[in-house]
Amino acid sequence: MNSEQINRSRTVDWTLRAYIVLAYVFVFAPIAASFVFSLNSDRFPSIPLGSVSLDWYRAVAADPLVWQGLGNTLMIGLIVGVVSTFLGFGAAYTDYRYHFFGKQAYLALALLPPTIPVIIMGLAMLAFLSRVDLSGRAISVIISHVVICAPFAMAIIRLRLSQMDPALEPAAWNLGASEWATMWHVIVPFTKPAIFGALFITMAVSFDEFAIAWFVSGLNETLPVKVLGFLQGQVSPRINAIGTFVFVISMTLVIVAQVLLSGRAAPKSDEKE
Amino acid sequence: MQRDTLVSIEGVIKRFGSFTAVRKMDFEIRKGEFLAIMGSSGCGKTTTLRMLAGLEAPTEGVIRLSGKPINHLPTWQRDTPMVWQSLALFPFLNVRENVEFALKMRGVGKAERRRRAEQWLDRMQILEFSERNIAQLSGGQRQRVALARSLVVEPEILLLDEPLSALDAALKVRMQSVLKNLQRETGITFVYVTHSQSEAFSMADRVVIMSRGVIEQIGTPQEIYGAPRTRFVADFLGSSNIFTGKVLAASDSGVQLETADGPIVLKGARLAQPPRQGATATLTVLDTKTHLSMTPPPDATNVLPVRVIGEEFVGATATIYLETPRGQEIRVQKGHEDLVGLPLDIGETLYAHWAPTDSHLVAEA
Amino acid sequence: MRRPISLYGLTFSLPLLVWQLLFFVFPLVFLVALSFWTVKNFTIRPDFNPVNWVTMFGKPVFWQAYGTTFGLAAAASVLASVVAFPCSYAIAFKLSDSARRMAVFLMVIPFFTSYLVRVYSWQIFLSDAGIVNVMLGAVGLGPYPMLNTVGATMVGYMTLALPLVILLQLFSLVFIDRTLIEAAHNMRCGRIRTVFEVVIPSARVGLVIAALFCFILTFGDFVSPVYLGGGDPTTLSILITDTTKSGQQWPRAAVIALTMIATLLVVAFLSVRFAYAGQAKGSRT
Repeated sequence: MNSEQINRSRTVDWTLRAYIVLAYVFVFAPIAASFVFSLNSDRFPSIPLGSVSLDWYRAVAADPLVWQGLGNTLMIGLIVGVVSTFLGFGAAYTDYRYHFFGKQAYLALALLPPTIPVIIMGLAMLAFLSRVDLSGRAISVIISHVVICAPFAMAIIRLRLSQMDPALEPAAWNLGASEWATMWHVIVPFTKPAIFGALFITMAVSFDEFAIAWFVSGLNETLPVKVLGFLQGQVSPRINAIGTFVFVISMTLVIVAQVLLSGRAAPKSDEKE
Repeated sequence: MQRDTLVSIEGVIKRFGSFTAVRKMDFEIRKGEFLAIMGSSGCGKTTTLRMLAGLEAPTEGVIRLSGKPINHLPTWQRDTPMVWQSLALFPFLNVRENVEFALKMRGVGKAERRRRAEQWLDRMQILEFSERNIAQLSGGQRQRVALARSLVVEPEILLLDEPLSALDAALKVRMQSVLKNLQRETGITFVYVTHSQSEAFSMADRVVIMSRGVIEQIGTPQEIYGAPRTRFVADFLGSSNIFTGKVLAASDSGVQLETADGPIVLKGARLAQPPRQGATATLTVLDTKTHLSMTPPPDATNVLPVRVIGEEFVGATATIYLETPRGQEIRVQKGHEDLVGLPLDIGETLYAHWAPTDSHLVAEA
Repeated sequence: MRRPISLYGLTFSLPLLVWQLLFFVFPLVFLVALSFWTVKNFTIRPDFNPVNWVTMFGKPVFWQAYGTTFGLAAAASVLASVVAFPCSYAIAFKLSDSARRMAVFLMVIPFFTSYLVRVYSWQIFLSDAGIVNVMLGAVGLGPYPMLNTVGATMVGYMTLALPLVILLQLFSLVFIDRTLIEAAHNMRCGRIRTVFEVVIPSARVGLVIAALFCFILTFGDFVSPVYLGGGDPTTLSILITDTTKSGQQWPRAAVIALTMIATLLVVAFLSVRFAYAGQAKGSRT
């Protein structure tokens, strides 16, 4: 470590640190502004700030369509979370446990959907679902969201499985547990933090997704689609109020997931005795 | 003392795709013995153990447990518990729950489970840790949990896959005696896979030496040490000097060999199949029975002029590395007092010699 | 006992396979079929007619939009990579472990805030009477029209892609063996030169993948070009939403979407090849 210290220049180090701060300011400026202006009374948001008020929250709360959108979002998010986590778990376990012909294709199928632009997914989903008479309903949003959320669940749970001692599963079989019993008594308990992590993350992804939902939701608009509607109409600080509200929900989910994923992760077997 | 056969392995072959891990294996495991299977990595020893456990199925051949074929019985329907190299303790269960696991899977009731688990924890002297997490235990304590977890079902056989390899040297020796005593007291058959000669030879009643999927020799440690059956075993054990040459004369009590460094003689043996004259044969002599002197001893037969090329001191013994004029390497192991007065600097010339009765004929060169 | 096909195994592997085949692969395949269907009297009917392809590829508007979208996405990828690198480099090499963990956690937050809300927020900053112009006015400058410009679109693109680019770059940088850098210093390779001769080649794969993801994200985005760029110049994504939402011209929208997918596949293939081409020379992964 000594050589590194000698070779370091304080000026360069501090310039780089200042640069980090600048980058974070750029990333967080819109998030912070949205929060600040949601509490600002002015009709047209700018500086200098007007007085602090909850008017925009009241306006949002008084809009029955927003409540309906929120209801849709929560219901859809919950179902999407559960289904994606189950599918993702299955795929992660398949990748962990089995070797088979065509596994690369299977993994590609499991992981690729989020890399396809949402606008194209939205169009494809709309065209396909309306053909099979499933478009314009809450179920169409659920179906589409699971497609893009399951890969996240799979990645999170696969990561956890890779931390598992490969002998753990055969050890359970060897002690008299059938494959099903091992799944229930060993694999699930071991991956439990990741399962809940995946559940919350996929719910959060579904909460914020608007493009596909906009294409396929019809009258069952989710909250983000509502925001899109506000954006298309006149500029309205109501967006800030909804945005802050959704942000709080999402962050709660993410922080819970983070705590589950890191806090209770089992200690690694790195004993040197 | 001939004991009953517990496991018999008959013509077992195991292939993984085009790779053959075990070729045509036949041997028996006796009831109540401590059997070590030894070999370097990739020799098929772990595959053999996994077939016994039911984690792999033999490609060909039959494995019988107490006379019944068990080839295709999945591991969870056998009572062949295994202690894993990584121990594979369940990190999300505490010590007692780990030990109870096998009982729970067998449908044993809660109270009974607890009683039997605590009995074994007590026996392994870790009862006080029963509510602890695995992560809070030391390496030796984990070892005991793993043993208790496997033994709680009171099996006829226990399989152990290099369970001591993660421990430091001192703890290793202590756990060796724990294992040996446990085996003696319970009378459970232990099958112990290891690459360590010292572990195998200090604990086992019989040792199986494997190489490239084939059994090279089965026998007691003394038998194998004193009379390696193949050249591979002699090389693997590394405790003998090995000479290969042409047979000048042979009878059922002795062999005379012509090597590049001169004649080597074996006398006083009882050979079932003496080699034919003119054939190639291999003689070995233990490095502890090879002696050194400054002048050739007057009446000795096996005498070779050698040059010192190195020496190594471990505790009370010294190992001298030497070389004949033809480049044959010779090792001599002696206590320090046996070497007093000998010039051991590199390049010095000495004479290595041993009694013809200390020579041993390797059956397969 | 490895039995590849068992009820147990299929219970876990099949659901995702079926789901993604039905609701991911099939819709995309259907998109191909749709691009050959025809629209008459505002109803779509199955057909095998290349007319949509011919019409779309014959329109200068389409090619203009294609050029704009590709150019903007490429520019955004370069810009994001260049802007992100000093930041991810500094996080990787100049921060303590705990500060680095905190930085990573903070950078994850934007993924869980609404992109729409953030874009709206930029409107507050960039509009004629917005925060930036008010601040410039205080020192006697402006006001400058900033909203509805390509620059504003680019700000939106950075909002979308910068966090991901920083994280991906960071992950490739933290895995560089520190001793490599010390060895370079030891051989009298200067600080800046070490970055170019050792750090960048070692992290090459990650850097290229980061830029690729930026391209994918921005190439398909319609929010920034519409709400910050004012919809002018038109991008392919705007063209898709217009064609779908107003005109019922789904087959034509399918043509645009398929052209976009084809473009992304080619770009992804070339990027990955480029990323791994230099591997023997530089990277260890």
